[in-house]
Amino acid sequence: MERDLEQLNCALNSVKTLRSNVRRVFESVSNGLRADHGDEGKENKFILELQELLTTVNNNLRDVENSVSNLTPPPGAFSLGNTAYLSQETTQERQALYGQLVNSYKWTDKIREYSALAGNILATNSFNKTYKTFSTTKRRKTQSSNHNVSPEVIENLITSIDRLFPDVTITTNRPFVPNPVIQASLGRVLKAIIAFKGLMIEWVVVKAHAESNDLWTESRYKVFRKVTENCHAAMCHFHSPMMPELAVRSFMHWFHSYNTLFSAPCKRCGNHLHANLPPTWRDLRTLEPYHEECK
Amino acid sequence: MLGFQNQKNVCKIICMMGVTILTQFPTGNRTGPETVEVLSKRILALGAAQQGQFLVDCDTYTSIPQLGPQRTVHVLHNSEQPATVFSLLESGNKTIPLAADGLFDLLMMKMSSFYTPKKQTKAESKGLRYEIGDFCVKLGTVTVSSNFKGILVEVEYRPCVVPAMCWDLLKEFLQGLLGQSAPGNLPAYLQNRVQEIYSPIDTIHQYLEHFTLFRKSPGGMGLRTQ
Amino acid sequence: MTSPGSAMDSLSAALKCNIIPNQEYLLQGSVLDQYVEVLLHRLRGLCDNVDSGPESFHDHELCFTLRATNSSGAPMVLPLRVRRALDVSDAPFQLRYVGQQELGDKNRPTVVRSSIDMACSSTIVDFLTELGCRLDFEYIARGPGEGVEPISQSYLVELSVLAPSGQDAIGEDMRVFAEQLRPLVQLEKIDYKRLGSMM
Repeated sequence: MERDLEQLNCALNSVKTLRSNVRRVFESVSNGLRADHGDEGKENKFILELQELLTTVNNNLRDVENSVSNLTPPPGAFSLGNTAYLSQETTQERQALYGQLVNSYKWTDKIREYSALAGNILATNSFNKTYKTFSTTKRRKTQSSNHNVSPEVIENLITSIDRLFPDVTITTNRPFVPNPVIQASLGRVLKAIIAFKGLMIEWVVVKAHAESNDLWTESRYKVFRKVTENCHAAMCHFHSPMMPELAVRSFMHWFHSYNTLFSAPCKRCGNHLHANLPPTWRDLRTLEPYHEECK
Repeated sequence: MLGFQNQKNVCKIICMMGVTILTQFPTGNRTGPETVEVLSKRILALGAAQQGQFLVDCDTYTSIPQLGPQRTVHVLHNSEQPATVFSLLESGNKTIPLAADGLFDLLMMKMSSFYTPKKQTKAESKGLRYEIGDFCVKLGTVTVSSNFKGILVEVEYRPCVVPAMCWDLLKEFLQGLLGQSAPGNLPAYLQNRVQEIYSPIDTIHQYLEHFTLFRKSPGGMGLRTQ
Repeated sequence: MTSPGSAMDSLSAALKCNIIPNQEYLLQGSVLDQYVEVLLHRLRGLCDNVDSGPESFHDHELCFTLRATNSSGAPMVLPLRVRRALDVSDAPFQLRYVGQQELGDKNRPTVVRSSIDMACSSTIVDFLTELGCRLDFEYIARGPGEGVEPISQSYLVELSVLAPSGQDAIGEDMRVFAEQLRPLVQLEKIDYKRLGSMM
């Protein structure tokens, strides 16, 4: 009995692995060529990756077949105890057990699975980094660090920026957290994904509206990759640990000048294009547009 | 197993593409292949990389007389949106666009007793595709029922989706590529839509306008390309 | 790189390989309002998506036909349906051609009818109207839940699978599934022609 259970578990696990790896194949196929395949020989890299995934799936499938062949089919009917009588009674008004049973079964199953996962993850990350002591007597009223401010303060700052420019729309998926990541849409021109660390800007990525809101992949378009680079430069330029709110405001003011990214010609050469790019630099004081080579 | 018939999870029709300008390039006293050669050399010299090929085709159907006033259905495919069939219905002075799944072609076959294909009008633009910076350039050889008719140049600026914002920039690019033959104004179809978000059906509209002109023009240079 | 083939070529290749799901296998029945909860319970046990619960829908369907007489005077009819989700605003519209249903003999477990099913843009209603189609009737289907203007005291229960032609094993699977729902719902092959003559 014990051995049977173990084998059943093993079979279920191999099915799970198979499913997850099959999912990876489809994920990879649906994503197609990605930025991390680089430029050279990207098709080959993609095909190799796919082959590798398919080999894994093949191996998993073999595992499933092996573990299934090890199972012994149950000799007779299972004894389900009193629950067996549930199937005799389908009228719901008389006892509403059925739905509850189905749900609680699912629930327990999930709790088990999630707690095991959470246990693993929490074991590897210790959470001893908090400064706060939780004694009520020593609670400090104000915090001097700009890294560690209350979420409401940051929320207020973001709301005030949102009000400052009519064509900048700010959306945030997780408001009221100490380090929010916001998406700032600049008209129909571009969007920036901005990560805050306390009251300071930590990271900026500029992308096309149709691209993902992911902080870690760069835009597929050269022009937005250039603007991202320049945003990093400006982010450092405006950085001011003593006046973080002013720094963010100045940065946003400068960022807002990109609403003419495609329409404004270069202040120096008068052309729209240089090396097939529009003027991607904005002067830090005058906000005038320049090609990178013309500034 | 399906408990309920529910078809919400069908694929979405993706509307993501940059502003595109389609323009005819005159062949002058050159043949079609020679003209393509000249343009291709020019674009490679500008630093472009050739990236695959493309094909846009158009079939035209007309309603049978029993259906009343004549209507025309143009069915177009663009290899850039391979899972979509575009259709433009001309009825009186109205044009109604439609984007649908690939199975729309199957439906047109079912409709063949109501809408019959117009003879000798199959138009296509076919050729090589180039990428240069964020621009995508396509040099197309146009044929109408296999007869060479002319050259169409398609330029897409992929990062920008509003024609009004990037027309000047595109004009500069076109002048650099086509010189005197570059268009001075936005294509007529786009002039009323400069502030709207550009979508693949807008490119289809431009192709149909050019195909219609080519179909009316007498035999091009009479050269068969195939 | 190979040159892109024409879309018509790939369509005829797909037709030849028989990978286009153009056959609908269909069983229909009904359940009285008061028993619908019991049916849902039964389905919850039978279907895979217990934890997410039944997916609701609220659809508006418009039924058009394109009619004309051919050159020898015989009538030609092409039915077309447009379905649109009222509860999911960014879902595409659904265009569907449903052919004549074949009941087949007693051994065939389900109704089979040809079906071309595709997503399309919202311009489809104008498109069909200008094409010469006439709107015959429209209705709103909603489920599971209360209907806005219910036309009866029952729910329509449909079991339908779209598949490429020739996949007759599906019909058998559907019969087995329908068996599990008895006697709550009798899912059967419904002959509309006979229904028509009964009225």
